[in-house]
Amino acid sequence: MRISLLPELFISVFLLLVFQTHAEQLIVSESGKYFTISSALENAQAGDTILVKGGIYSGSITIDKPVVLIGKESPVIDGSNNNTLISINAPSVTVRGFVIQNSGKSLSREDAGISVNAEKAVIENNHIRNVLFGVYLRQAHGSIIRNSRIAGKPDLTVPRRGDLIRAWYSDSLLIEENELNSGRDVIIWFSTGSKIVGNRIRNARYGLHFMYSNDCHIERNQMTGNSVGAYLMYSRRLHMKNNIMAYNRGPSGFGIGLKDLDDGYLTENLVVDNRVGIFIDNSPREIQSTMHYAGNIVAYNDMGIEVLSTLERSIFRENSFIENYQQASLGGSRTAEPATWRHNYWSDYAGYDLREDGYGDIPYKSQKLFEDLLTRHPLLRVFIYTPAVQAVDFAAQAFPVVKPRPMLSDSVPLMFPRYPAHLAGLNSKPRKTFISMTVILILSGIFIITGFSKKSKGDKQIIKNETKEQGEASARGPSLIEVRNLTKKFGSVTAIKDLSFSLGKNESLALWGANGAGKTTVLRCLLGIVPYQGRIKILGMNTEKNDKTIRSMVGFVPQEIDFYDNLNVEETLDFFAMLRRAPTSGISDWLRLLELHDQQQKKVKNLSGGMKQRLALAIALLGNPPFLFLDEPTASLDIDSRRDFIQLLKQLKKDGKSILFSSHRLEEVSAIADRVLILEKGKLVKKCRPFELTGLESTSSMLKIFLEEERIASAITKLNEEGFKADRNNDGIKVIVDPKNKARPISLLASSGIFVRDFDFESNGQD
Amino acid sequence: MIKISWNNILIISRKELLDARRNRWFIIYTIIFAGLSLALSWFGLSGLGNYGLAGFGRTSASLINLVLFIVPLMGISLGAVSLAGERERGTLIYLLSQPVSPTEIVLSKFMGIGIALLGSLTIGFGISGFLIGWYGSTIALGSYLTLVLFTFLLSLVSLAIGLLISSVLKKSDTALGVSIFVWLFLILFGDLGLMGSSLVINLDIQQLFYAMLINPLQVFRLGALTTIRDNLEILGPVGNYAFRNFGNSLLPVFVSILAIWISVTLILSNFMFKKRGII
Repeated sequence: MRISLLPELFISVFLLLVFQTHAEQLIVSESGKYFTISSALENAQAGDTILVKGGIYSGSITIDKPVVLIGKESPVIDGSNNNTLISINAPSVTVRGFVIQNSGKSLSREDAGISVNAEKAVIENNHIRNVLFGVYLRQAHGSIIRNSRIAGKPDLTVPRRGDLIRAWYSDSLLIEENELNSGRDVIIWFSTGSKIVGNRIRNARYGLHFMYSNDCHIERNQMTGNSVGAYLMYSRRLHMKNNIMAYNRGPSGFGIGLKDLDDGYLTENLVVDNRVGIFIDNSPREIQSTMHYAGNIVAYNDMGIEVLSTLERSIFRENSFIENYQQASLGGSRTAEPATWRHNYWSDYAGYDLREDGYGDIPYKSQKLFEDLLTRHPLLRVFIYTPAVQAVDFAAQAFPVVKPRPMLSDSVPLMFPRYPAHLAGLNSKPRKTFISMTVILILSGIFIITGFSKKSKGDKQIIKNETKEQGEASARGPSLIEVRNLTKKFGSVTAIKDLSFSLGKNESLALWGANGAGKTTVLRCLLGIVPYQGRIKILGMNTEKNDKTIRSMVGFVPQEIDFYDNLNVEETLDFFAMLRRAPTSGISDWLRLLELHDQQQKKVKNLSGGMKQRLALAIALLGNPPFLFLDEPTASLDIDSRRDFIQLLKQLKKDGKSILFSSHRLEEVSAIADRVLILEKGKLVKKCRPFELTGLESTSSMLKIFLEEERIASAITKLNEEGFKADRNNDGIKVIVDPKNKARPISLLASSGIFVRDFDFESNGQD
Repeated sequence: MIKISWNNILIISRKELLDARRNRWFIIYTIIFAGLSLALSWFGLSGLGNYGLAGFGRTSASLINLVLFIVPLMGISLGAVSLAGERERGTLIYLLSQPVSPTEIVLSKFMGIGIALLGSLTIGFGISGFLIGWYGSTIALGSYLTLVLFTFLLSLVSLAIGLLISSVLKKSDTALGVSIFVWLFLILFGDLGLMGSSLVINLDIQQLFYAMLINPLQVFRLGALTTIRDNLEILGPVGNYAFRNFGNSLLPVFVSILAIWISVTLILSNFMFKKRGII
């Protein structure tokens, strides 16, 4: 045996010595002996090394000898978009260190960057780009493609592209650590015993496409952003380990697709964020074969596992199914128990681990109602990501009668996921542009919320410009209001009926009447803020058509003052000044006169009723309007303030304001009004002078008594005991009294030790 | 011809924004939205962070769900209490007694609260986007910004619906109650009804797709998914039908539908507000 080997050993050593002795190095460069690679190849002997220095060389090179072609300083072989660039027709050829670019794009001719038609080629450290096929291997057994970057023609649509690597009847290949981008597939067909290791395949149709290739190892590859990460078909004993299949979407969108695959092993792969994590179609195919799935992470896919036909003789162990929108869809094989599910982690498992052994004490069952509905009514998939789906599943949990049969059952599920320890991850880095933009978003959001509400310099300009218009409006001629046949209905209730009156310049008109007489409604109609029938003209303008213009000439003080609680006095004045186009510069005198000058930073909600009344008057006077409409102007004021307020109104009238106001106070009407309209249930019953009102006082009056809160109840009791009809009224009580004996309730309360803060009278039961 | 003073709208909008800043509900909504979007992004992106896998799929799904829940609630409820609240407090009559038209008030409310919502949403999306960028997620910046745009449109639709509710109701509590019912209908009952209908009366793909376009929340969801996934295949046959028939026009179609919702609802709000008046 030892002697029989000697001749072969001798011949091998001899050949090695001969080649070493005679191997030469030919140099191709612009200044060297050979200008072109083809001329160097013509002169080279088998075993020679051709060193190609930097520069651009034309393509369509054919290598017929076992030579080593080495690029130094990245020489470029350019095909000018014609034909195949390098054709290798001899065994044991090495091509290393070149930029190989611009092949033809004929699919029928199968134009390629490198076409290998012999065994044991070594293609390494090359950058092959803009080529139809990257490396095309035909019966190139034992060839190696290593550390190369291969990119297809990005301007072609995917069906028009060639494959980045195509292996055809080429066994025992080693394809490792390549960067493959923008092609159709990496195809391994009829090629047994190959190793595909550490490659990164992006933006392709099928990252890896195996057909009729057995006993291959696929390890540490990353297939991202393809239509399918790895599609393994019609093959046996393929081992996939520690690969990453992520973000593979598109028409198919499988992380891993298996079709008619037998005795495959998928272990410790990461299958993340694909449309379908693992797609299984008739795998295993043969009765004697088994598929093994172990230690894989199947996470964040729209569907974790989708089975097209059957799922039998498959073993799933220690896989982690993490938050796939649908963990599994077992298609027609939903009752196929022969598949074994054991010790897998399911993120939607709701069991417990009382034994604390890391495994759930009750089985995991995939039996979501919506998933069950989906298998029978695929149209319903349109509802995914809606709360309605969660409601349906919740209903199924709450009412077991509608719970579907389990799609699968894992008898002993894991409580926590298991992550592969030796799996290298993707190299994802922070994205500076993205981060910058989001910082801009955050700052914009803060500015929008905090900055936009601040006043700008332009606001003063608005006020200035429009104040001029305001002044013009005031000087437009004699102030005049004409109301003819005013009628206002609220549903079936007539609030005002056929009311007519007029108001001249510098005139003051009081609307007098009981509660519900329609005084407030008249003012609202005049302001144009409620629709009405009849005709109202102010300065010759119709209020319905010119409501805004008219409101700009009217200062209005409502009976019940409601400002924006969150604004302070100054902000409130600013806000209404801007709306009225009035400068706030002249308002300080008014504020002083109204005793509001030291209240400017106070929130309006903290102002007393009287202070609010003064603020309303200050606002009404903004822009110096010719008309003042006042609704019970002194209702909330104490005796001293009331006197001051009336003096102020008298002064305003003297200054030329026309005043229309509603009131029930004789002192007020007598002091301010020139004429009085007496209203009753919306109708004008009398026009008179203020002094004529005295004789019209009714036989009963309403006395309002203002008390401390804790005294109100005892005061009501006391007065009712004395025969009065007393009721609560806001911060006091109201009592019906004889006009000739008005003060008796007050003296009664005083004698009972109940302190009276203030009081008020109303005739005819007005309030 | 309605004369609108943009100055008035600007002035009242500014006050609305100031109100929003001081409104506890708005602050709570903003904090919840920012907090939840931050948490969702964190959990969504960091789960497989050891492997550098920062897929946007899970985060986007969570964000879309979050937006579907929170944003319409924000818009509808803030809109619903705006006019009704002022009517109830009595400030509306005082405001209308100024040289301001009802249309200007409706538009001001819409603009002021809308800007406040925009601020709130950009802060929330900014924070979650920061994490997404930090983890090096694969989502394109343009897609993310389009998602923000769609969310903003959804918030405006919701706000307009809220204003419509507010324009006819007197009490803010009633308006809030009605707004929550409308929100529930849009987010849950409408879909459940459609789901049931499609099972019972066998709606075909076309009918189901067009029926979904009636609900603005669904339009947002379809738009958001189209933005993130570039197509709607994730939604199965109906998604494929939509993409096959509309192709690249899908996004403009969705944006147009949301714009129509905003315009029509606002016009209706204005009409109802004028009709209902101040009382």
